[in-house]
Amino acid sequence: MDYNPVCKIRDPMQQITELTFLEQLAKRSKLPTPAYAVTPLDRKALKALLDQWQKAVVKPDILAGRKGKAGLVKVVDDPARAQQEINRLLNADLGGKMPRTVYLTRYIPAELEIYTAITYNSSFLGPSLTISLKGGMDIETVEDKYKRTIPVDVYKGLDAYQASQVLSDLQCPKKIVSAFSRCLVNFWDFFITSGMRMCEVNPWRVTPAGEFYVCDFKAVPDESNFKFQNQAIAFPEYPENITPFEEEMKELAASSYQGQLHISDLHGDLILPILFGGGASTIITETLCTCGGSPIFLSDFGGNPTYDRMRHAAEVCFKHHLKKAALLLILGGKANNTLIDVTFQAIGDALANYVEERGPVFMPVVIGRGGPRLAKGMMIIKEILETLKLPYIIFGYDTPVTLVAEYAARLAKAYAPMRKP
Amino acid sequence: MRATQLADLLRKGDRVAVSNITGRESSMVSIVSHRYCGNIVGGWALGKGGQTIEYEPGRVIPVFATFADLLKNLPRRQYPNKIVVYSPPEAVYGEVKEVVSFGKKNIETIFIITEHVAIEVTAKIASLAREAGIDIIGCNTLGMINTYDGVRVGAVGGDSPAESFKKGGAAIISNSGNMVTTMATYLMSAGIGTSFGLSTGKDALILTPLKELLALAEKDRHTRIIVLYIEPGGLYEKEAVDMLKRKKFTKPVIVYVAGKILETQNVSLGHAGAVVEGAFTTASAKMRLFDDYFGIEPFDPQKRYDHNVKLRQALRRGIRIQTLHTLPQAASLVYRIHEWERDFSPRETIQLNPWFVNLGELGKKLPAPLILAPGKIIEPYASQFTSLAAGKLGKMAAQRPMRNASYASGNDGQTTTIYGYSVADLMQRGNFAESLILQWLGELPQHAFESRLVEMCLIASLSNGPGTISAQAAKLSASAGNAPHTGMIAALASVGDVHGGNGREAIEYLLKVFEATDLTDPYTPKDSGVDLQKIVLQEAEAFKKRKAIAQESGTGYIRIPCLGHPVFKDKDVNFDPREEAIHAYLHEHGLYNVFLDFYRRLAQTLKHIGATSRVLAVNVDAAIACIWLGICWKLLKDRRITMKRVTDIPLVAFALGRAAGAAGEFLDHQDHGTGMDMRVPPSECEMLTKPRDLPLSKK
Repeated sequence: MDYNPVCKIRDPMQQITELTFLEQLAKRSKLPTPAYAVTPLDRKALKALLDQWQKAVVKPDILAGRKGKAGLVKVVDDPARAQQEINRLLNADLGGKMPRTVYLTRYIPAELEIYTAITYNSSFLGPSLTISLKGGMDIETVEDKYKRTIPVDVYKGLDAYQASQVLSDLQCPKKIVSAFSRCLVNFWDFFITSGMRMCEVNPWRVTPAGEFYVCDFKAVPDESNFKFQNQAIAFPEYPENITPFEEEMKELAASSYQGQLHISDLHGDLILPILFGGGASTIITETLCTCGGSPIFLSDFGGNPTYDRMRHAAEVCFKHHLKKAALLLILGGKANNTLIDVTFQAIGDALANYVEERGPVFMPVVIGRGGPRLAKGMMIIKEILETLKLPYIIFGYDTPVTLVAEYAARLAKAYAPMRKP
Repeated sequence: MRATQLADLLRKGDRVAVSNITGRESSMVSIVSHRYCGNIVGGWALGKGGQTIEYEPGRVIPVFATFADLLKNLPRRQYPNKIVVYSPPEAVYGEVKEVVSFGKKNIETIFIITEHVAIEVTAKIASLAREAGIDIIGCNTLGMINTYDGVRVGAVGGDSPAESFKKGGAAIISNSGNMVTTMATYLMSAGIGTSFGLSTGKDALILTPLKELLALAEKDRHTRIIVLYIEPGGLYEKEAVDMLKRKKFTKPVIVYVAGKILETQNVSLGHAGAVVEGAFTTASAKMRLFDDYFGIEPFDPQKRYDHNVKLRQALRRGIRIQTLHTLPQAASLVYRIHEWERDFSPRETIQLNPWFVNLGELGKKLPAPLILAPGKIIEPYASQFTSLAAGKLGKMAAQRPMRNASYASGNDGQTTTIYGYSVADLMQRGNFAESLILQWLGELPQHAFESRLVEMCLIASLSNGPGTISAQAAKLSASAGNAPHTGMIAALASVGDVHGGNGREAIEYLLKVFEATDLTDPYTPKDSGVDLQKIVLQEAEAFKKRKAIAQESGTGYIRIPCLGHPVFKDKDVNFDPREEAIHAYLHEHGLYNVFLDFYRRLAQTLKHIGATSRVLAVNVDAAIACIWLGICWKLLKDRRITMKRVTDIPLVAFALGRAAGAAGEFLDHQDHGTGMDMRVPPSECEMLTKPRDLPLSKK
């Protein structure tokens, strides 16, 4: 499938970076970490650090994707070079992502780098530990013979004996097996007590003296886990990481669990899609992208939202995007739970409210839906659209969502050039 | 894993218990499920023991405080073997633990509907269930349906499961709950029904993995094909395809893989588990896995498969579809290759079938292929639309829980409001009647004279003398020594359809007469939408005919509401003085009300054509109805208020005035009446039954 190039998005999943870990979690974790300092640092401060550390690693605090901060990290040993690297990294761009700040960690000389990760594993239906002595690389590129994944009992946790067996199996230098096994138990403790869904240290750097340090860290918390919620971690804001629209929706989503409220900005410019159902919304968005419908965002408002929640969500969508949209699409499959009259009344009222506050709008509206109280819901939205003098086409659930999406994309493309500037 | 075939997860005769059954969603879904298949033996909800869920008038599902209580109170033959968990995320672990501890011997499957359950909790549940030999579907499943047995758990099929699930050969297994129903509906268009529909849930951990579900489906005797809806995340499909290859799976699989957008757009999906973990977990990898297993390229609707031996051979394993709306074609093809009959006659072909189209002026500018004509609306919706569209007046209000919500009033801790207007402002700058219109209709009056007319109606309702039923009620209450408000309540309790409630009938009658017209402004004497004299004559003639037929046959007939009065009735031309006062006010101020004019003309015309012997009085109830309908008309036309509200207004308007009048009657009686003076002496009471002796045995 080819996708419309206007669809670009940043990963909205919450991520704990190494710097967030160092600043907020390291002390509670019993995991050995190198000393660090965050910019801005003047020449004098940089000199003092390098005098003490000999060498430092300059790193950007960035929400790295799967490939990490590859290519962005530099080792420096004099203040001028350090300053130069800091300046370079402050303006670095990693696939459209910008760093929040730049920081330095003490350089750890190493004769071995180890990869470790604890995550929930779909094969074991429980947690698992992955270890490789080929640390510092993307784990997916490491050959199977150099890595091990073992299940961890969610009740009993990881014990040092289990960890040492894996390390021995990988031919880990004997001098560190015992100490590093205990360290892995601490790693597990941190994972399970902080409510994470994934924790990765890549790499641990093992010094010639057999000491080891966390030299890069990444974690994804489980936002549904109360242990994570109780820690009240302050997630820093990253430049362009989240749009004001996503921010506002996120706040609204957090206010209640009644009904889905999931959006991701796609930065399209044609269709404003209010979509229902996790599966349906994915399929519809893919179809819109494929057909050049340029959806402004991806949305899922299913799960039977209350009137207030749906109305508020629709108001936020309209406030941010209705003006630029060439078509309003309200589309979902045949709902199991979601009450169509309630959701359509809420969307219609939000639309009417928008017009009342900001003046008339004009664009075609395409609707497709099935589910409880469908006839009433369609009559409600139809009347509202007629009152607002908006052209519309309404489909029932006997027309597949993908066909409706294809049609909506064609209609939006045809109407877009007719819009008044 | 306990189940050995799909039906072991859900079949007829299963006894289902529902956790947190009193919740908003769970109670609603349980009612529909129980009406559909009657498989719920009870539910439990902390602190709600003793409550019931009424699923049909007089028939209830019992609610217990805990699962242990449920077991204690249900007879052994009703012990549940299937559990549906609807508890909030933080309570799910406790609920499952309790079910496992108390019901280990009986429970076979637990369906966890709850979403946002922590992964750690899900992993713990997996461990608990493994030890106890219980199957878990979920978390975040929508449930399951067994079409042949006509049973379901959870909300699969929505409020009308039979509409989307007809018996047939397809087992649908889907990561998305919505897609279970949607794909079943699409398959019906090809004449293919379903054996099972199952939503696996799409949290990061799916506790009954695909490979196990496929093995169960293979053993199901009704299932011919397996239809899968797959999303990114997890190694479930990798393991499933390995199993398909290893075990030489015998049934064809049709698969749709969604979520490729994740790879190119770095976007996150709504489903919590849609997280790419590595190789084999992306949408593309899953597509490749299945394509490799099938040994055939994805389904192409234009391609000819039937006569190519190699393709036919591959289709015996199945095929992947790239667009969801090609599912019926692909499934038909697989049926054809296997030489299977369709399960039933196909419904209409899948195509763009708009139910409503109104492109207005835009339609003239768009290219022809984009202009669609309205298609055929399927039943029962066509009939529902016809009945909903029959009324040209009134709003269709969407229902929602209103326990803590109100459109009518608000209080943010600082300002009390009525439909958004500050009560303090209304007090300072408005009047009572104006505020009353706002409180009852949600809008301020559009004309100043409307408040004055409402005031007149209230005055007219205050009293019609001490002999009226409502005044008597107030006096009885005073005579019994009650507090004043009790007298008002007594008066209100004596207002009914016959006394005071006639206004509702009047407004219903007026709505029936005027709904069919194009009346736009009831305050304009010659509104172009109404030929009043013609309507009056039609109504008068219709009444005359009704009356004549009734007199001939000696039966009763439907009277015109609010014409005639028990007191003002003896003259040739009768008037209710309160109605006359309203009429006079309108006349003096050059105002007009088409409804009141209609009533007055009708009274005259009835006499004129010989339908009545006198000109009947248009009574005050009719006048009140006419005034309020005048105020409501524009709101009704604009569909801003419901018909129900408008028909109730004359009654509440009368009741408000009369309650105030009754208070006056009460206070008067309290001051001047003697104790028990309303008591009727036995000498004035008529005994209609003769005295009788009790039989000896009772003495």
